[in-house]
Amino acid sequence: MPWISKNWTMKGIIKGLIVTLKHVFHIGGRPTVTVQYPYERMKLAPRFRGKHAIDEDACIGCGICEVNCPNSTITIVKYNTRWFPQFNLGMCMFCGICVDVCPMNALKMTGNYELADYTRESLVYGPEKLLFKKEANQ
Amino acid sequence: MIENAYQLIVYVLTLLGVYEWIYGIFQSFGIDYVLQIIIVFVEIVILFAFVLVTVMFLTWMERKVVAMVQSRYGPMVTGPRGLLQPVMDGVKLIGKEDIIPAKADRWIFTLAPFIVFIPALLVFIPLPFGKSLIISDLRVGLLYIIAISAMSPVALLLAGWASNNKYSLMGAMRAVAQDISYTIPLALTAIAVVMFTGSLSTVDIVNAQGGTWFGIIPKWFIFIQPLGFILFLIASIAEMGRIPFDFQESESELVAGFFTEYSGMKFAMFFLAEYAHLFAVSGIIVTLFLGGWEGPALPFIPVQLTSLVIFLIKTYAVIFFAMWLRDTVPRVRIDQLLNLGWKIMVPLAVLNLLLTGFIVVAGVI
Repeated sequence: MPWISKNWTMKGIIKGLIVTLKHVFHIGGRPTVTVQYPYERMKLAPRFRGKHAIDEDACIGCGICEVNCPNSTITIVKYNTRWFPQFNLGMCMFCGICVDVCPMNALKMTGNYELADYTRESLVYGPEKLLFKKEANQ
Repeated sequence: MIENAYQLIVYVLTLLGVYEWIYGIFQSFGIDYVLQIIIVFVEIVILFAFVLVTVMFLTWMERKVVAMVQSRYGPMVTGPRGLLQPVMDGVKLIGKEDIIPAKADRWIFTLAPFIVFIPALLVFIPLPFGKSLIISDLRVGLLYIIAISAMSPVALLLAGWASNNKYSLMGAMRAVAQDISYTIPLALTAIAVVMFTGSLSTVDIVNAQGGTWFGIIPKWFIFIQPLGFILFLIASIAEMGRIPFDFQESESELVAGFFTEYSGMKFAMFFLAEYAHLFAVSGIIVTLFLGGWEGPALPFIPVQLTSLVIFLIKTYAVIFFAMWLRDTVPRVRIDQLLNLGWKIMVPLAVLNLLLTGFIVVAGVI
């Protein structure tokens, strides 16, 4: 009679029940792993890849980041008589290749990951939003 | 001697010294039966309000238990520890559009949620919440409970048919097959309990479980017939249609089963009926096998209060077990479900009945 389970003692179910009960009472290193997001945030890794930032003094506007970007996220635009990259973050996949290929180490990625917005146009981040001065930061 | 909630209300009013006065007013008009109707109405309203508040709390508790098992927080924002979440859910559902599909059978489609919801509340009438805290001690209380519960497959089939949706109909057919398969072992194990008490009245069943053996083991029926208890527990979880046996709404196969097409308040009524059913079934398990409201009596506190608290503690323990089981085990297959029902549960229930008969005739206990 194959429909009679060999485990008629229900050992497996009882084992599973014990495991879930341990989770309920946090026994044996089973803490609550989620966080209350808008009120508390998880600690980010230092190399977290969030929104970009451009070092105003280091960037030479060479366009190597534009050439290397796999998603055509970057265009070089003119800003205050100099050339800087402009990021369309709606297309960006945050791979970090632009940071790696920058010859002047002018690009970096910050920990800002809250980039949701209402329009596609507002996802285009020009130099006016991304520039920073290294001296000012130190 | 106070026997039911009606007499309790009269007793409390007499203690407050207003009963004679109210009764006199009604009697001067010669309509003292109106007073009886009003008191019955008041106790029904209290019962239903209590049940609905409990049911709303149960939806919160279910989410919390699932969250704790899965190492999450669950609802936390609305109210302390998310306690007002059910209220917000209710407000949201009231605000939803009440959609009736174009090809649905409008009359039956509207009727089905009520036919699900009303029996879920009617089950509570012969359920003793505490000593004398019972609306009506029917002499056929257990039969009444089983008969009222047996109305639910009709309503589920109505809902599934009227939706005019293949998933709804399949969910309803499964629900009916499952409900009918598992009502039989449910009733058979309940009969085994009745063989001990010789009465279908829920109050008599609870009274038969008072006292202890050897001063420590309470005379609950779970100790006399553990097999019956396990069968009743499995059969009632299957009859409720909860995970491991939630074939009526298995999400991965049928969208939501028989209430796929329902929205707004009609969906809320199905949802509330499900949890009212959970509460009712847990109460019945406690009444039949776990000694009902029997427990230690405390001095200076009315026995009605302590017995109510004891009953609720036991009921919530059973509810917690159902939620805990739901979070632990996956859904069985439909053939496994029907095999379990017809080839294992029914024969075991009959065997349990036979053993109980031997014990009762031998007069061991």
